[in-house]
Amino acid sequence: MSDLTAVFRNQRSEIQRLGELAERFGAGEHLGDDEVMAINLVLDEMVANIIENAYDDQGEHEIHVSLARHGDTLTIRIEDDGRPFDPVQAPAPDLDLPLEERPIGGLGIHIVRSVMDAVDYRRQDGRNILTMRKTLGRS
Amino acid sequence: MDIFQSTSESGILTLTLSGKLDAETTPHFAEVLDGSIERGERRIILDMSALDYVSSVGLRALILGAKRLAPLDGRMVLCGPQDRIMKLLEISGFTSIFTIAATRDEAAETLR
Repeated sequence: MSDLTAVFRNQRSEIQRLGELAERFGAGEHLGDDEVMAINLVLDEMVANIIENAYDDQGEHEIHVSLARHGDTLTIRIEDDGRPFDPVQAPAPDLDLPLEERPIGGLGIHIVRSVMDAVDYRRQDGRNILTMRKTLGRS
Repeated sequence: MDIFQSTSESGILTLTLSGKLDAETTPHFAEVLDGSIERGERRIILDMSALDYVSSVGLRALILGAKRLAPLDGRMVLCGPQDRIMKLLEISGFTSIFTIAATRDEAAETLR
């Protein structure tokens, strides 16, 4: 069992640190490249989304990220104080559309929901709390 | 991320990407791709074999490039993605809008 937590500011330059966090966790847990990439992707997509869309003001905000492994279950938790946003309710993109009609956006959350086995959202005390789980060692 | 460009005798442009295609590096890639289309490139191979990571920002740039090329009778073919990148392309529904070739030769063949 191990835990790794980090705090990120709502600035785009923080995205690079997400990859470093994923790699540090992966190295500590002896995870494979595929799993490290999955963690990096999930952090990248969700935290970038918060940085880009969650805040109405120009002020500095903290985004709390934690990675934990209990047995073969990986848990990623992301907490922010931005406007309420429930990614579980976001509509799935229509992947059967031809190129001309294919929308440009909406892929990030779809990827997260595909990569993780479970995504839970709750709003508590003015904060968005996203808890995502994945069974390791299974693609 | 590094981008290498090469043009074959048959006029196919190959862009070879390495490293990460994410929020930080995608603007540069989009600039290179847009610039290529602007100067008249219509058959483009994107060699992804040395690419380790792609996020949705990078995927958006691929869709945008393909959408720009289509009305110009142009085409972009992806080639050689690593297994985990291929899985991501499948998840994202790219297999129905892009030709994904195993090798550069195979990619060039589909553009002839």
